[in-house]
Amino acid sequence: MQNVPAPPSVISNPQQENSALILQDENLWYKDAVIYQLHVRTFCDSNGDGVGDFRGLTGKLDYLQELGINAVWLLPFYPSPLRDDGYDIADYTSVLPAYGTLQDFKDFLAAAHNRRIRVITEMVVNHTSDQHPWFQEARSSRDNSKRDWYVWSDTDSRYQGVRIIFPGTEMSNWAWDPISKSYYWHRFFSHQPDLNYDNPAVREAMWEVMKFWLDTGVDGFRLDAVPYLIEREGTSCANLPETHEIIRDFRRRIDAAYPGKMLLAEANQRPADIRSYFGNGDEFHMAFHFPLMPRMFMAVKLEDRKPIIEILEQTPQIPDTCQWCIFLRNHDELTLEMVTDVERDYMYDEYAVDKAMRIYLGIRRRLAPMMENDRRRMELLSGLLLSLPGTPVIYYGDEIGMGDNVYLGDRNGVRTPMQWNGGWNAGFSSADPERLYSPLISNPVYGYQAINVDSQRRSAHSLLSWTKSVIQTRNAFRVFSRGSIEFLNPSNHRVLAYVRCLGEEKVLVVNNLSSSAQAVELNLQAYKKHIPIEMFGRNLFPRIGDLPYLLTLGPYQFYWFRLRRI
Amino acid sequence: MAEESFLGDDFLRQLMSVGEVDLLVGVPTYNNASTLGQTLYGVEESLRQNFVRERAVILNVDGGSTDETRQLFMQSAERSDAGHRGLTSLRTIHRISCEYGTAPSHGLALHNIVAAADLLRAKACAVISPTTTNLTPSWVVNLLRPVYRESLDFVAPLYARSRFQGLLARNLLYPMRRAIFGQRIREIYCEEWGFSGRLASQCLEKDVWREEAVRARPEAWMAITAIGGGLKCGQSFVGPKMAPPTGTDIVEIIRQTVGNFLWCMETNQPQWLSRSDSQPVPTFGPDHELSLDGIPPSQEKIFELFRSGVSELEPILASILAQDTHAQIKAVALSDRSKFHFPLALWVRTVYEFAASYHHTVLNRDHLVQALVPLYRGQLCSFLLEHANASAEAMEAQSELLCREFERQKPYLVERWKLKR
Amino acid sequence: MKEVIIQGLRQAYSNLVHMFAEFLPRLLVMLVIVIVGLLVAYVLRAILRALLHVTRLDRLSEEAGASRFLRMAALPSMTELLSRSLFWVTWSGFILIGISVLGVAGLQEQISRLFLLLPAIFIAILILFVGLVTANFLSRAALLAAVNAGYASPKLLSWSIRFVIWALAVSMALEQVGVARQTVLAAFSIVFGALMLGLAIAFGLGGRELARDFLERNLSDKKKVKYEEPQPL
Repeated sequence: MQNVPAPPSVISNPQQENSALILQDENLWYKDAVIYQLHVRTFCDSNGDGVGDFRGLTGKLDYLQELGINAVWLLPFYPSPLRDDGYDIADYTSVLPAYGTLQDFKDFLAAAHNRRIRVITEMVVNHTSDQHPWFQEARSSRDNSKRDWYVWSDTDSRYQGVRIIFPGTEMSNWAWDPISKSYYWHRFFSHQPDLNYDNPAVREAMWEVMKFWLDTGVDGFRLDAVPYLIEREGTSCANLPETHEIIRDFRRRIDAAYPGKMLLAEANQRPADIRSYFGNGDEFHMAFHFPLMPRMFMAVKLEDRKPIIEILEQTPQIPDTCQWCIFLRNHDELTLEMVTDVERDYMYDEYAVDKAMRIYLGIRRRLAPMMENDRRRMELLSGLLLSLPGTPVIYYGDEIGMGDNVYLGDRNGVRTPMQWNGGWNAGFSSADPERLYSPLISNPVYGYQAINVDSQRRSAHSLLSWTKSVIQTRNAFRVFSRGSIEFLNPSNHRVLAYVRCLGEEKVLVVNNLSSSAQAVELNLQAYKKHIPIEMFGRNLFPRIGDLPYLLTLGPYQFYWFRLRRI
Repeated sequence: MAEESFLGDDFLRQLMSVGEVDLLVGVPTYNNASTLGQTLYGVEESLRQNFVRERAVILNVDGGSTDETRQLFMQSAERSDAGHRGLTSLRTIHRISCEYGTAPSHGLALHNIVAAADLLRAKACAVISPTTTNLTPSWVVNLLRPVYRESLDFVAPLYARSRFQGLLARNLLYPMRRAIFGQRIREIYCEEWGFSGRLASQCLEKDVWREEAVRARPEAWMAITAIGGGLKCGQSFVGPKMAPPTGTDIVEIIRQTVGNFLWCMETNQPQWLSRSDSQPVPTFGPDHELSLDGIPPSQEKIFELFRSGVSELEPILASILAQDTHAQIKAVALSDRSKFHFPLALWVRTVYEFAASYHHTVLNRDHLVQALVPLYRGQLCSFLLEHANASAEAMEAQSELLCREFERQKPYLVERWKLKR
Repeated sequence: MKEVIIQGLRQAYSNLVHMFAEFLPRLLVMLVIVIVGLLVAYVLRAILRALLHVTRLDRLSEEAGASRFLRMAALPSMTELLSRSLFWVTWSGFILIGISVLGVAGLQEQISRLFLLLPAIFIAILILFVGLVTANFLSRAALLAAVNAGYASPKLLSWSIRFVIWALAVSMALEQVGVARQTVLAAFSIVFGALMLGLAIAFGLGGRELARDFLERNLSDKKKVKYEEPQPL
């Protein structure tokens, strides 16, 4: 990962200067964010119908504020047949009735903003549900005005050789429409036809959707499946130049009319390919660093920092106003598309021995079960997430170590109800348990009786309390969100050590990736005479001198040191 | 006062950084800059292709090279890491280097390697020579895999040879070792072999590293320690054996090999005195490969050296051999070269009488071993005369016959060994 | 006269008794010294025997070939020999000290001369012994090396080495005890020098061709045609 420079330079008029700085800095809020990803359906049910809703979510905002996060990313909550957990949208400008009303959403938004929590929503730009009125119209007749809003063909032989994203479930990227007697293009499930962005009307329609939500006050969009907007014969139909032109167009419009709003790209590609989605600072503000994520898990299992170092060294420099978004787990499977076959086999053998855990070239498990409920490993990975360069995303439930259910279909095993307490339905809903949208996790290890927010709140030493304090520490020092990174590469490969720098602020992070105690000698010559102060206990460590700095770490232990020169 | 450790601080620090490993490949060097690159390539490729998930270290132990061999080793490490950034290997392949002294010594080199193997708790180890110019990645995996996956403790290499290679091994070392220690391992005097961490730990505990016999041929001592200790031994085919770049000094080689073997017999008596037959060992790949290339060496010179040796060394041989054995050898030495034949039974009895005399120290042991050289030449000459144009099968049959003769006469050896003087 | 004689006898008897009275204590002291010496010699012998057993001197002696000489000379093993030698040397020393205490005139001077000579005799014996052993070892090593290398006349080489070392050892031993020092030194120098001169002339005149061939073979670029041993391993 390359250097990220200090905040913007000085402007001449002091008063204007301050407001300009504040404004500039406010517009870069996403760089300092700690994002909490959740699905409104899974979080809290306020009306006893067994499905989480916005009112319930609003009631839990205090919890989120207490946790220390400052942005929430909501999975799709739009009207949908729910054949892909809401990513098959049937109406872009409304709220699924089970989750509440549009007013409920607006109330939630206001309450979040009052707590200085920003809200990022989904914008599924690539495709709609086949139940969407646009598609219903398009398929009704070949002459319909919306026919060209989707990609049609009389044969299924166009765009040969293009990768199928859900192998095993889908046999082809073309599906036969019996109504209009032709094929339509879908990169995802067959009930999710791709929109045709070669048609300017589609772009305008999508812009209207964006405007609708921006006008309600949302702070940003995660654009789903963005690489696949455009198709061209003889290509992979991904990452095409025309796609970037569309993104730039959206970005121009947003910057002009809604400054300070953020666009986050979901592009599961290699680092060099993701780089293009930042453009020259004129496309996405953020993009997920997909290749880093599996390598963090790999490094801990291998007890070797090599996978992390290599991928970060391959990560290209991005524009100053842009930021990587890093994460451990999310609502999808832990994708292994961007690793080698050898690495994929290794990950399967180590983390997904049971074939039920594997889906779509990935692993459908949560963080805690993958770490075998080892508190130290969970803390280590969380520490990495919060100290490596990028905006961290925490998946709901990982802060308390929630478990999963790999025997639920698709990826629903990682989308079970939030566990608030050990009582009725884990405090998620007052409905009959049979009515819940998904069964609770109820085994003795990860079940809601053992893992829940209330019981962890009572202990200052629980995973929840620990997560809160780490987020708080991270939020107190801007160096984590905006600083540069310099890897130290000590001779002990089981230790990952780096220094984050932002102006005079320097933080040394040392991580023991192994299950056994380690000794490491760090070359800190560049920081001679600095005093390391351990950031959680605030204890002084010996001053850095001429000799290599010797540290010993327990299994999976990590240190954050402030390096102060006094 | 604490005893001085032979492990340097820098070496220990490097071992600390590596930590526990599954595989350790030792590369002892002394001025091998010209061939080291190829060796390292073979080792690394083997590890990358065959042991993707295993934790591995390549350890260079250097005897004070003056041609920057060590620097080359470390530089090639950096280049290799950079060249493989295509993420083909899951793990870091560690590379560490140490200098064990200012002059080369096989024994010291191996001492450092087994110490590293013990400290790093390596499960499988191999020693690879940088002078083996025809080394391929398959050599390394063929030595490591039987140890790592089949839990063997010592794996000797098997070579494809031309028929006039390895005659000392064929006519003396192998048959004698097979009869004495009861295991049919063909090659223990080798440049590359595999061994387990368990064997490394056992060898490390033994206080014999200063003995000349161990320093000269540590691999053979290690093999016999494994055999004598009841550990699992085997052999694995690697490839063709190349001739050494410089000429062979048979006297020096016999001093090292036979001297080492007799010393091992002396120090492992309980392990062989009561053993009576030999067993085959697990073999990976072909048991042997013998090509019919090669021109037979000049027998005239060999015969001349045998005859003059028998005559000039008469008083010495008289003190070593039994009277009738000595008389028979003198008679054989007087025969015509064209009809020369050194009977197998006589050869075996001679060798055993030498072994017993070594045990009783009838004269300086190194001198005793040197006195065997002319007699070996006699046997060699007889072998060459009889097998100059023999097929590979015929040569193998002869070898088997000789092995059986050694086994048959073993009680005679035991009797002479136990004789009170 | 009778009284004179009786007085004289009484005087002589009294002198004798007096002499005995004077001699007896010295005799007693001498006996004590001798007995103490015996005990000390026993103890030292035991200590040396134990020390030499630990250092395995007998094994080293066997390997060096010294034990063979001892057996030929019907002597006991090296450890036993040295231990007993120490015993006798120690006790002899105490005996000599005891005798000197007796105060017999003239004897003391001889005893001191003997004392002075003892170390030299001991060293001379040691030199001879070491010389014998070294000669045996080196000549045998040379014989084996020459035979195995295929050199002509290996026995001559072996005997030459043995002779040279013997001659050196004998000369050194004689010089050590001071027997005809100058004569021995001169004789050794003459013989050694003559031998070297003779060899030089012999080789120089008789080995001209050989020397030329040797130099040509080793200094020229011509490919050497040499006997190649078959690869043994």
